[in-house]
Amino acid sequence: MLEVTGLSARAGSFVLDDASLTVLPSSCHVILGPTGSGKTLLLESVIGLRKPEGGKIILDGQDITDLQIERRGLSYVPQDLALFPHMTVRENILYPVRIRGSKHDAENGIVRELVDSLGIGHLLDRSVRNLSGGERQRTALARAVASGCNYLILDEPLSALHESLKKELWYLLKDLQRRYDLALLMVTHDLEEAFFLGDTVTVILEGRVRQQGEKADVYEHPASVDVAKFLGIRNLFNVRTERTADGFLWGYCDDLRATFRLLRPELKLARNETSSFVVGIRPEDVAILDPETSEPCGTNIIEGTVRNTYENGSFLTLIASSNTSSTFVEAVLPRTMAKKLGVSRGSSVLLRLPEESFFLIDSNSPQTSSTARLP
Amino acid sequence: MTFKRISIACSFATFGLYGILVLSLFYFFRGDTLLETLLSERTLFSVRLSVVAATISTLISILIALPSAFALSRYDFPGKTAVDTILELPMIVSPAALGAMLLIFFNNPLGLWIQDHGAQFVFTFYGIVLAQFVTICGVSTRLIKAAMDEIPVRYEAVARTLGASPGKAFLTITLPLSRRGILAAAVLSWAKALGEFGATITIAGSMAMKTETLPIAIFMRLSSAEIEGTVVLILVLVSIGLSILYVVRFLSRGASYA
Repeated sequence: MLEVTGLSARAGSFVLDDASLTVLPSSCHVILGPTGSGKTLLLESVIGLRKPEGGKIILDGQDITDLQIERRGLSYVPQDLALFPHMTVRENILYPVRIRGSKHDAENGIVRELVDSLGIGHLLDRSVRNLSGGERQRTALARAVASGCNYLILDEPLSALHESLKKELWYLLKDLQRRYDLALLMVTHDLEEAFFLGDTVTVILEGRVRQQGEKADVYEHPASVDVAKFLGIRNLFNVRTERTADGFLWGYCDDLRATFRLLRPELKLARNETSSFVVGIRPEDVAILDPETSEPCGTNIIEGTVRNTYENGSFLTLIASSNTSSTFVEAVLPRTMAKKLGVSRGSSVLLRLPEESFFLIDSNSPQTSSTARLP
Repeated sequence: MTFKRISIACSFATFGLYGILVLSLFYFFRGDTLLETLLSERTLFSVRLSVVAATISTLISILIALPSAFALSRYDFPGKTAVDTILELPMIVSPAALGAMLLIFFNNPLGLWIQDHGAQFVFTFYGIVLAQFVTICGVSTRLIKAAMDEIPVRYEAVARTLGASPGKAFLTITLPLSRRGILAAAVLSWAKALGEFGATITIAGSMAMKTETLPIAIFMRLSSAEIEGTVVLILVLVSIGLSILYVVRFLSRGASYA
């Protein structure tokens, strides 16, 4: 298990403050954050490329904070892969084996097994200068695995690839992880990649860890407005909450001039029963109802007008505003359904915001002023 | 005239200036003097002395420049700026002044002690090597540092995560990747050492068949008005110099690693 506790580091005027995370054996922990958030600084401090100002790094019970890079037992794949340009694919893969003085038999065994699982057998005698993007990624992964380290540190290694190749390598990375029982600590700003590859996720913004946990937990319950915004959620509304006698929690949203039922009565809320919260809902969770078969005044249903539509492959993103305010709600629905419901710019729609899809953010969390305005 | 034409004309003017200087040598060129001068014992001694001294001073210089250049390229340490600046000393101080500084040093107590208990430098072969070494060491370090700066530090970082010690990472990654730059630095330093005159004559003097390097031979023949012989020796030096420049250009053709 790799444990980072209270790690602080500095790069120029940028400060990474009090970062902690845990990578369990055979799992993938993803550090997610925008460019310049301190992800790479954190990773480089863990590897030993930068000396942290504080904190501890423990690997399988051993304190490696001040250990030399080559003795840490962490294999590193940087963003540009850093394949050694004066070597062939075979020499690159065998570098960690040869540098430790292993015998030829061991070399052959390692190369055969790795090239089979990565499908790069035909490239072994090629110079790495002549490889395609995908071939370079596979070679870099093979070299990292050949080091024999159980912990792989990956710094956005797939960021330069086009979508289809990237997804192909996601599956490959998962297979490799299972086959060699690897633990991965990976940095990315790609949400889809993070939630596909990661078992646990740390969201880091402006040099501070803002949220971490199981990926489903982070995905479904962003802990703060800035995390929610980073995760691409624009449906964020300020509400005043009140629990009624029947046990339901209701939220009144001034911006939408609407009242939502937020939580089932059996769920407990830690805060006072009348408080201010920010509620959020993912655009794909907002349902568009058929106006002919649905009542406009049901629970969590608001009437709105479509202000804009954006086609995105087989989906349609629509921006609708409530008929009583200028605050907008974003929804995503399949294009076939949009066509069936006659959704187009200027049309009237009924939007249902299901109570089970809402997540609540405490108003005291950073940057809670959140309500989105019509663009 | 367009800007493009003006700039091209300027480049040809520069070429013409040096071309005319080389061509003008042939006004005093005599075929019979060529062989006579080239095969004379004194010329052969000068060439041999220059080549041997330049080779030794270059080897010593590269051996010292390699680790220094690596340190300057990769590490931050107190006094780095001062070290980096002093490398320029041979470029901003005239060679004669450098030679004079060496001469003065060997007349100080420490220099005298070295001469008494170690090697004699003043007016000897060692003096020639030392003068050349002092002239080229800064240049070699600067050139090798430039070659190492081109190599991303990430290669060494990755090598170390793969199990290489700092020394092994240097030997297996940095050194092979900068080999063209190191060779180019060695060749240029050797050429500079071969043509070194000011510092050499100041510390080693101009004794025929003892400290008479090729540039000193040119100076001595010119002093005694042997123009034809001077021309031959200059042509030898120019030929070696141009060949070296060609080799350096060939070695410098390399891929960028960034």
